[in-house]
Amino acid sequence: MIARAEDFRERLTWARLTSPRAIGVLGIVLGALAFWLALPPVTVRSPVLPLLVGILALAAGIWSVTRGERRVGWAAVAIGIVGMAGGVLATRSGEADLDSVVVWSALAAATLRYATPLTFAALGGLFSERSGVVNIGLEGMMLMGAFFGVWAAARFDSWALGLLAAMIAGGLLALLHAFFSIHLRADQIVSGTAVNFLALGITGYVFIDLYGDEGTPTGIPRIPEVRIPGIEDITFIGPVFGQLNLMIWLSFVLLIATYVVMFKTPIGLRIRAVGEHPRAAETVGISVYATRYAAVTLSGVLAALGGAYLSVGFVGSFNENMTSGRGFIALAALIFGNWRPFGLFGAALLFGFSSALAQRLPTAYGESAGTLFEALPYVLTLIAVAGVIGRSIPPAAVGRPYKKQ
Amino acid sequence: MEEGAIPSVAARLALYQRAGGVITPLLTVLFAFFVGGLVVLVTTGKNPLHTYQAIFNGTGLNWFFPWVTCSDPCTPATNLQYTLLLATPLMLTGLAVAFAFRCGLFNIGGQGQYLVGAVAAVMIGSSFADLSRWSHVALAVVVAAFAGAAWAGIAGFLKATVGAHEVITTIMLNWIAIWIATYLFEIGGPLQDPKQTGVPISETVAESAKLPVFWGDPLFQGLHVGLFIALGALVSYWIVLNRTTVGYEVRAVGFNPEAARYGGISVARSYVLAMAISGLFAGLAGAVDVLGWEYRLGVLDIQISQVGFIGIAVALLGRNTAVGVFFSAILFGALLNGTSTRNLDPEVFRPELASSLTLIIQGLVVLLVGADVLVIYLWQARRKLGLGRKRASVTT
Amino acid sequence: MNADVPVLELRGITKRFPNVVANESVDLDLRRGEIHALLGENGAGKSTLMNIVYGLYAPDEGEVLVRGKPVRIDSPRAAIELGIGMVHQHFMLIPVMTVAENIVLATEPTRGGVLLDTGAAARRVEELSRTFSFAIDPNTRVHDITVGQQQRVEILKALYRNADILILDEPTAVLTPQEAQELFAILGTLRREGISIIFISHKLNEVLEIADRVTVLRRGKKIETLRREGATEASLARLMVGREVLLRVDKQPAVPGEPLLKVDGLRVLDDRGLEAVKGVSFEVKAGEMVGIAGVDGNGQSELIDALTGLRRSAGGTVHLGDRPLQTASVRTILDSGVGHIPEDRHLRGLVLDFSLAENLALHEYRDPPDSRFGWLFPRSLVARARRLLKEFDVRGGEPQTLASSLSGGNQQKVVIAREVSRDPSVLIAAQPTRGLDVGAIEFVHRRLVEQRDAGKGVLLLSLEIEEILSLSDRVLVMYEGELVAELPPDVPEEELGIAMAGGGRQEEAA
Repeated sequence: MIARAEDFRERLTWARLTSPRAIGVLGIVLGALAFWLALPPVTVRSPVLPLLVGILALAAGIWSVTRGERRVGWAAVAIGIVGMAGGVLATRSGEADLDSVVVWSALAAATLRYATPLTFAALGGLFSERSGVVNIGLEGMMLMGAFFGVWAAARFDSWALGLLAAMIAGGLLALLHAFFSIHLRADQIVSGTAVNFLALGITGYVFIDLYGDEGTPTGIPRIPEVRIPGIEDITFIGPVFGQLNLMIWLSFVLLIATYVVMFKTPIGLRIRAVGEHPRAAETVGISVYATRYAAVTLSGVLAALGGAYLSVGFVGSFNENMTSGRGFIALAALIFGNWRPFGLFGAALLFGFSSALAQRLPTAYGESAGTLFEALPYVLTLIAVAGVIGRSIPPAAVGRPYKKQ
Repeated sequence: MEEGAIPSVAARLALYQRAGGVITPLLTVLFAFFVGGLVVLVTTGKNPLHTYQAIFNGTGLNWFFPWVTCSDPCTPATNLQYTLLLATPLMLTGLAVAFAFRCGLFNIGGQGQYLVGAVAAVMIGSSFADLSRWSHVALAVVVAAFAGAAWAGIAGFLKATVGAHEVITTIMLNWIAIWIATYLFEIGGPLQDPKQTGVPISETVAESAKLPVFWGDPLFQGLHVGLFIALGALVSYWIVLNRTTVGYEVRAVGFNPEAARYGGISVARSYVLAMAISGLFAGLAGAVDVLGWEYRLGVLDIQISQVGFIGIAVALLGRNTAVGVFFSAILFGALLNGTSTRNLDPEVFRPELASSLTLIIQGLVVLLVGADVLVIYLWQARRKLGLGRKRASVTT
Repeated sequence: MNADVPVLELRGITKRFPNVVANESVDLDLRRGEIHALLGENGAGKSTLMNIVYGLYAPDEGEVLVRGKPVRIDSPRAAIELGIGMVHQHFMLIPVMTVAENIVLATEPTRGGVLLDTGAAARRVEELSRTFSFAIDPNTRVHDITVGQQQRVEILKALYRNADILILDEPTAVLTPQEAQELFAILGTLRREGISIIFISHKLNEVLEIADRVTVLRRGKKIETLRREGATEASLARLMVGREVLLRVDKQPAVPGEPLLKVDGLRVLDDRGLEAVKGVSFEVKAGEMVGIAGVDGNGQSELIDALTGLRRSAGGTVHLGDRPLQTASVRTILDSGVGHIPEDRHLRGLVLDFSLAENLALHEYRDPPDSRFGWLFPRSLVARARRLLKEFDVRGGEPQTLASSLSGGNQQKVVIAREVSRDPSVLIAAQPTRGLDVGAIEFVHRRLVEQRDAGKGVLLLSLEIEEILSLSDRVLVMYEGELVAELPPDVPEEELGIAMAGGGRQEEAA
């Protein structure tokens, strides 16, 4: 590679500056800065700046935790949250404390809502990429889930069947991606791009064909919310967790399950082996093709669940291209989280938070600056892959077609 | 075979190019249309050929048939103008993908580069109103091209210095561009048109910066001279690749970066240059769209535009050659136009359906572009079957 | 089980690839508890044969019997179930995983049938490695252990799967001599435990040292199976090559002139940042050929990379004449008169998808007459190609032919044509005859000697002792990143062998 030609000492310094520890320390500094900005002598009046700086602190913290620097990283996360909260409170010092708490809990609940579809899709991506198949078709698979979820929920009058149909639709699209990228050894990026086009076309076509101009039927059965009796009155926790959609809880369960499967069971060991060194896996009798097929198909199923959450769980309807790039944010979360379940979850929460801010800030302040928060996940991921090669390590064989001997 | 020996994308495409000639892309397209026809037949029960005929008539390509006559205003001619209008940016975004491919890079970022170019063009075009016509046009076009080049150059630079994968960085840059552009022109955004504060749209390009229309009605989306910019870009693409040392280096790096390095070529420089040149093409696409017929950028356009993404399909189908990109851009431009609401008679086929059909056909084309492997695979399967039969006959 | 029945028997195995018959009706039998060497030159079909036994290739004809019963081995899994284990030349280990994880992969111990029992895995690996006195920590990651240890992990992987037939594909190619001795001791232990071993090699001394019987393959055919007793290096070599091997090149004694290439205290780091070349100093004079001998992986590749600018040096100086080159770019070095025939013509030497004309211009496309002001003149490229292809007798290619469609020998001729035609003052040739047939080898050797006679300095790096001895005027021996000996070309092979194994240095130290 080119890196070899570079000055070695230069790389060492660079490596030190981008080490998880240094990034973590940076996070702590940023977290403190978020608070300090709102205080004299700077005293910013808008909460945007403390929020932005606080998010950067969180990002740095998650970054460094997922790359092995736990203590400093968690400290950065904590200080980032406190700094952000303190900073925002300071800019709103005129208002009652109670209001602030209401705002914060609403924001936390919104964060979870925005993070959930990302978590599903990113977990899907985790399976696919850990097995060595790049999946930029997550977007399309989500879209399939979103549409066919609504379709089946309306058709059979059951949200559960809606979810089932979503999973089947996403799984089938993923199977197509699998067939082309595994069996035919087509370029995985090309195949993923094609799958995205196809999903857009298929869902758009069937949507118009079935529902025409009226759109999907109103009043379809929605995925229920889970009420937890007893905790509703607890400050902050109550409003956040007291009434969450079933899918959000499901995403927590899947997150833990994914972690266990991937790192604590033979299946996970085999998937990772296939993604790291397929030939080695083959020589001990693991079928590379079968493993990859299963992993890629599962990724479609999971991504489709994320899409179904958007349509059947959240808004109760479908419109064309309703995922609008969430599959790509999920991909970003996967990369930012270093191909680890809790890493990607942390990233999904962070990205969800920035989406929640983007939605809520303009209403409160009439500023358009909130839109820029939408770009934040991508900027952070760009910085992540840029600063870090050698730190953000994808599975070794990812993207490379495997040819049986 | 060692895994390391699995050819790069560029090498595979080179193989495909040699093996397939024009036959494979044609078959790919035919197959995609065949599947599309099946979809029409199954879902609507209509004769797909009639549907395709209606779409074809909407593209204006029938203008070339000697037996087609028309009165004034000539419908096939205006249709053809609009098809070429749509094909023009596709040629450029197709080149943006193709050029990077030749350097072994997969530029998925055509959409972002296109947008950055469009934003630059609208910014320059709507200010400096006192400039003379051609200098204003030239300034806007050049700035847009360089803006696109710079945007893509970020990905090239990151690839060259830290080895960040260009697919990931260009995807991220796409969405960053989309959201920044949205921010600029949304209500309350810094560049939103102050004359109509309630509409999320940019200011309008000044007359002096508009590309002149040379065929058709200048007021009703006639064909502007941007087509010649695209044709010039196609020619330049071929010349740069085949007749310059930069092109030689880019191709060497695309086929085998290690050998290029051994030969004294700076691989890092080639990556940056190739991405920048790619972005240049995409930026031009943004400029011709804005200065040629859109004259302004709206948030909605920004969010739903697919020009850069279709460029991927254009490049892949055109096998990264100038001629191929030209024809596949025409094909996709025609499809977009033929299935648009204004050209397709809802009695024959619903245009909303048809535009989704276009997407399906596009997806199939991209999917089947890996047909080199598909052909080899089918060939092997056939041979396996053949062998199986032979063995069976031996044992009996 | 009857002790006389071979544990593994191959009958009439034939395997064809497009354009080549890799194995032609090969018979082989492996007895219980023996070490059976499979001897042959590169490309004799040894690895193919063993990949068939391991289920990676399907034979076109013939049958495989395990413990007297005909079997069909269509996958590695089937091979494993039959008790066959294989240690591949390129290790099949996953660097980021632990030793234990690598060993138990696909046969993992579990808790409750679901969860991976890492504790049990580590314990079992530990027991196993204690039984065979391997001394390996099951919990370290594979990328942190030495190559020799990695090989033991590979052996453990097979033993863990209860293999009693073990195939080792060129196991010493990557080992230092000490590590090789340790491996031989391990193989001895395994033999005593009743494990049958097939040992693929092309090194005669190793085969004589460790094997009970030897089967010689030549060009895909089995030539003979013989007992070690009574076999000599000479007799084996004759069987292996099919004629008396005496690679002698007709050449006049060298007339060395001025020193051209001067290397002083050069240090180079490898990809992992470890010092691969540790302060090397030498000279190449005009009109002499200097050979660098050594076992693969002793820093030779890094040395060549540094001399040609493909890798930055970490210290020391390189001069071509008076010109310092230690920090120069590849292009500067090429322009100042260094020609480089690289180790791997597919990886580096050629752009396989370029035409021959484009390949031949790889160093000169920037200069007139090939180009002016960045504008390329393809006609000039073609004209040069037409001239060189004729001059260097490249067959099967026109200037517009793609490099990938030539045979290996002709591809190498293209590389040599390009490097020699630039009239460099120093020519660096790294393994210039690797994988070539006899005719092509002679061509390459003749060209190298011609260059020397024309007053160029030639630096030859080769892993083949014979090539070094027959071509060089002086032989430098590289061992663990240092030049440990300088020998005349008429030195006996054994002495060179000892130096390559670091022997000379140890004596000095003692």
